[in-house]
Amino acid sequence: MTVASFITVSCCLFLFGVFLLFTLNMNSISEQIESQCEIIARIDFDVSAQQQQDIYNTILNLENVKTAELETQEQALTNFKKELGDDAVVLEGLEGKRFLRSSVKISLKDIRKSEEAVKYIQKINGVAEVENRQDIVSKVVKFTAAVKKGSVMAMLILLIIAIFIIQNTIKLSVHARGKEIQIMKFVGATDHFIRMPFVIEGVMIGTLGFIASFVIITFGYNAVISSVSSIIRLFDFVPLQACITPLGISMALFGVLMGALGSGLSIKRHLKV
Amino acid sequence: MIKFKNVSVVYDKDIIGLDNVSFKIDDGEFVFLVGKTGAGKSSAIKLLTGEIKPTEGDVIVDGIIVNSLKRSKIPYLRRAQGVVFQDFRLLPNKTVYENVAFAMEITGKKKKEIKRKVPKILDIVGLGERAGNYPNEISGGEQQRVSIARALVNSPSLIIADEPTGNLDVETSAEVMSLFEEINKMGTTIVMVTHSEKIVNDMQKRVIQLENGCIVRDEEKGVYNLGI
Ligand SMILES: Nc1ncnc2c1ncn2[C@@H]1O[C@H](COP(=O)(O)OP(=O)(O)OP(=O)(O)O)[C@@H](O)[C@H]1O
Ligand SMILES: [Mg+2]
Repeated sequence: MTVASFITVSCCLFLFGVFLLFTLNMNSISEQIESQCEIIARIDFDVSAQQQQDIYNTILNLENVKTAELETQEQALTNFKKELGDDAVVLEGLEGKRFLRSSVKISLKDIRKSEEAVKYIQKINGVAEVENRQDIVSKVVKFTAAVKKGSVMAMLILLIIAIFIIQNTIKLSVHARGKEIQIMKFVGATDHFIRMPFVIEGVMIGTLGFIASFVIITFGYNAVISSVSSIIRLFDFVPLQACITPLGISMALFGVLMGALGSGLSIKRHLKV
Repeated sequence: MIKFKNVSVVYDKDIIGLDNVSFKIDDGEFVFLVGKTGAGKSSAIKLLTGEIKPTEGDVIVDGIIVNSLKRSKIPYLRRAQGVVFQDFRLLPNKTVYENVAFAMEITGKKKKEIKRKVPKILDIVGLGERAGNYPNEISGGEQQRVSIARALVNSPSLIIADEPTGNLDVETSAEVMSLFEEINKMGTTIVMVTHSEKIVNDMQKRVIQLENGCIVRDEEKGVYNLGI
């Protein structure tokens, strides 16, 4: 029983860990995307500094606003120059001319309600226009929701498959000991007494499987993250240190539970004498 | 004391195991259950150990109605009984000593007591020398004596045996039977199923004969004669 069960438990735990890490990263990436989907409120040219500050405060106090950042004309110009770098020469002579507006960059708490927020902000006195990448925002929302749903489903399916495989692996070996179990019952052993060593064995296998898969996953994760993030620079991946504790705890629980339940359940049939 | 009160056992597809059977066995008795194949002997034994439940009637052992015992209480009933089977039912990867000790371990007895008692019992059944052997290293007769030792080790007041000599030759059977007789003399009730005419006739004990699930004969100092 031991080797086959150990391998099965390890593989299931490994997959479980992979899905967990995938979900964690998907969550983090979608949060990053959401936070990048800003609303930009551009302010009329002839609005005083004090008024700009007022507009900024009004926006900041809106219920759905997470952060807001005021960028004055001067700052906008400096930033623009920075972006242009050596090409900044094209801006020479334009100083003092009003071609860049002051603006407020806004990120929302709930981007599903971005439309309302945009409508409201548009009505604020002194706001010239509001830029909202509405279609992108809603697509991102839909995409991340689908990914979350998908990964939860995948984990559930994996759980069911894992229990099924474990049960059957252990059942085979328990079947070989079925007669032994029956004899124990005939002699007067309680279910609890008979089940105990099996459950302990299951827990041990679960623990060993956890250790093996955890080591592989933690080493593998670092390698994968470093190679993937050299290709995809857009997002930050969840660093191992940040997820090692929840990953370890859930994998250990999953493994021990799988072993204990698998072996505990699979001898049930033989106890009925 | 054992009491069967109007006991019937009906298996799936209306196969009758026992049909309205009533009898009483007093403490210290030695009773043979005889009858043709399929007469219902093993069914009667299985009722005593709680392996099956009667479809109708009550099976009472030492004042306990076995058929209304909770599943979780059955092990405790079995510890008060010693059961010996035709196929010995020893644990193959435990030694002779461990097989007997196991029956004490499950009752939570202390190691010290187990170490004291098991060798004694093995001596009684004449297997003191084979304590370290595994079941497949000893003969059938010896295996049966191990299972008798296991049945005895918790000092039960009742020993139940379903064809204990069924796999043994005549000589070994006689040895095993004299073991049972000695146990009985110490006051233990024995209920034994057997197909051996010689054993029943030699022992001169009470005989209950079953046929098609009914008792057709119940005699003190009976003989085997099935009347065919
Ligand atoms: N689990 C079962 N399911 C269905 N029928 C059964 C079952 N056990 C026994 N029977 C039937 O009940 C009847 C009595 O069986 P039982 O085992 O009590 O006979 P027996 O007297 O012990 O026979 P034998 O001498 O061959 O061991 C038989 O007809 C048998 O086929
Ligand atoms: Mg039988």
